[in-house]
Amino acid sequence: MKELGKLVLFYRDIFRTAIRSKQNHRQIFQQMVEVYSRSFSTVVFAGLFVGAILTLQFQMVLADYEALSMLGGITTSACVREVGPLIISFLLAGKIGAFTAAELGTMRVTEQMDAIECLGTDPLEYLVVPRFIAIVNASILLLVVGLLVSLGGSVLVATLTAGVNPLQYITSIPRFAGMDVFAAGMFKSAVYGTIVAGVACHQGFTASGGAKGVGNAVTWAAIYTNLYIVLANFVTSQFLEMIGHLFGGGH
Amino acid sequence: MATPSFAREFWSVATRTVGWAFHGKWRREEILQHLVHHGIGSIPIIGISTAFAGLVVTQEIAFHMDHALHTTTMIPGFTGQFIMRELGIAVPALLIVAKVGASMTAEIGGMKITEQVDALKLLGIDPVGYLVFPRWIAGIIATVSLTLIALAVTLSCAILMAVTKFNFSTLEYVNNLRHFVDLKDLACALVKAVAYGAVMPLIACTYGFRCQGGAQGVGSATTESVVSATIAVIVLDFVLTYLFTLVG
Amino acid sequence: MSTASEVAIRFDQVSKAFGPKQILEQVSFEIARGEIVFVLGKSGMGKSVTLKHIIGVMKPDAGRVFVEDKDLSALDARGLSGVRRRCGMVFQQPALLDSLTVMENVAFGLRSPEFRAARAADGRPELSEREIRDRVVEVLELVKLDASILGLTPPQISYGMQKRVSLARTLAPGPSHLLFDEPTTGLDPITTQAVNRLIRELSRKLKVTSVVVSHDMACALQIADRVLVLDQAKILAWGTIPEIRQSREPLIVDFLSEALESEAQLAREPVGGTAGPEVRA
Repeated sequence: MKELGKLVLFYRDIFRTAIRSKQNHRQIFQQMVEVYSRSFSTVVFAGLFVGAILTLQFQMVLADYEALSMLGGITTSACVREVGPLIISFLLAGKIGAFTAAELGTMRVTEQMDAIECLGTDPLEYLVVPRFIAIVNASILLLVVGLLVSLGGSVLVATLTAGVNPLQYITSIPRFAGMDVFAAGMFKSAVYGTIVAGVACHQGFTASGGAKGVGNAVTWAAIYTNLYIVLANFVTSQFLEMIGHLFGGGH
Repeated sequence: MATPSFAREFWSVATRTVGWAFHGKWRREEILQHLVHHGIGSIPIIGISTAFAGLVVTQEIAFHMDHALHTTTMIPGFTGQFIMRELGIAVPALLIVAKVGASMTAEIGGMKITEQVDALKLLGIDPVGYLVFPRWIAGIIATVSLTLIALAVTLSCAILMAVTKFNFSTLEYVNNLRHFVDLKDLACALVKAVAYGAVMPLIACTYGFRCQGGAQGVGSATTESVVSATIAVIVLDFVLTYLFTLVG
Repeated sequence: MSTASEVAIRFDQVSKAFGPKQILEQVSFEIARGEIVFVLGKSGMGKSVTLKHIIGVMKPDAGRVFVEDKDLSALDARGLSGVRRRCGMVFQQPALLDSLTVMENVAFGLRSPEFRAARAADGRPELSEREIRDRVVEVLELVKLDASILGLTPPQISYGMQKRVSLARTLAPGPSHLLFDEPTTGLDPITTQAVNRLIRELSRKLKVTSVVVSHDMACALQIADRVLVLDQAKILAWGTIPEIRQSREPLIVDFLSEALESEAQLAREPVGGTAGPEVRA
């Protein structure tokens, strides 16, 4: 709870600094490319498997109801709305979050941050804000890629193990997963990306105590990111449902 | 990430650890200590996250059922199966990877760069048996127990959501659930938990041993450990799920 | 002892505690402009805390800290950053940014928003890239480094060179007072000698005040004008080298005998011509 409070204050500092300072677009872009290229293959790999697992699971259940024709739709909807963003952002917590916490934490414990500050530059502005913006953008992009790939994975498994015709599979998608589902997935992705970026920067920025301190920062970054993502999953689901009622009056 | 040298080291750590179970000494206090540290220490975080996962899954599945079948009567069966077969196992496993795996890598990496691992070797003690084996056993026991806790919490919260929001009675829910979920599902869940629990400490410790060069080294080893173990869990999940579809 | 305008740093009855632990208790002293002062003490006896008070990172629980007649507690953030610009901090580790070249590292302070804002406030034009480069080469020469390493990154040069680059980076914006946090801890005797000589030369050449936090009495005996010994949150001794040598305090006697031993050892060691030996940990 105390951690959460500190994190909220940290977000406030980041936003303030981000608004106050001029952004170095080239630096942000470089950071983004770096984050993106580092995580792309992992996300594709994981996305493929997430789609595949979900298809297997739903296939088992739907086979009981003899409703395999709905496999594509239900799997896609569940994957995009819920499981895809969740699992892939767990992965990003490790891939990007832990990496950033390690990078910033190392700078903190080797006094690089203090040095920067003593030379009249705000480390939050110089080191944290560009990373934060880059990570938020890159994670959203990566989550979209992951979700698209997971669709590929599920089509593959559906064809190979359930004997569902890929065409039939794909045509059943729009019946369940319309634009609203994709919008919901995107919204969740954005929220999770912000969590990954914020928690990682916070843990790295506040690391202390040598190599062990960096290890701790990385561990806690991974744990807190995952925890907050699960909590945010609940909150965003509630929120999205509320919005759904507001606009669609339920389905 | 999964370079040949890593695979080789992983294999050597894994075989030596498993071998230790037959030839080496089981240091009970040490195992117990890790169990308390990693296992009991993870209960709160697992409890909180899986509770929320349970609440969400009911809601999401209700949304889909309503959408697809225009009925919500099958929520218990569908949710129960999904929790027992997938969600109630994968979510805690991924959290355990982050919490326990990362801290094991950081621990052993810290020992490596402060030359404690070399000191063990000089004393004629096998660092794998001495450091990894207790963590391995503790990891398996902790993952299985935490998975059981997670399943219980997720299911209870799913029931809570179903009862408060979709007007099921608890009895009705549980009866309904029993039609769809049986001991076989529980057995599958336990097999998965054992697999995750066995692989995760081995990956974490291998990365710990590979650690080099100060704060930066520990940081990057921990990062890679979390990522590799997460992927390992996802792949294992797929493989095991597929095997279960063949069996069941 | 010295007139007000010559006082660089003054502590007036400064107290600081972390929880129940008293780190500084009513500590008062003055450091004159251009002096080399060593702050000695055992680990955890408030040496680094003293430095952090001078750059205003920490605030005293009671008492006041003055830098050039400015009471730090009375300053706002702008004023504090002005004081910090007058003080250059040299960290224990090189603390260079690995992703930047030596050139960019040393120029970091010259390109910082605070430095540029201060120049603008003084009505001076912004430094051109040419001027920045000239200044970087100039300070690298001060620390006896060649301009040929400008394009390298910190991991490509030796640890001894990294420490010099770090010092050059601190010197670039032209501080009046240099604060050293354990500059020779973890260095081999030869590099230690080189760093000590550098501190003395810079102090004479640039007329900067040097405050050196250390636990190495041998270094202090070699280059300090005055020595401040902290123990149990209080000043145990404060005076010139001859004064310190006459002290009968057990801790100082211990420190001194230790220092004499290592001096004798150093005299026995053959001093090679290596400028920056590798001492990477």
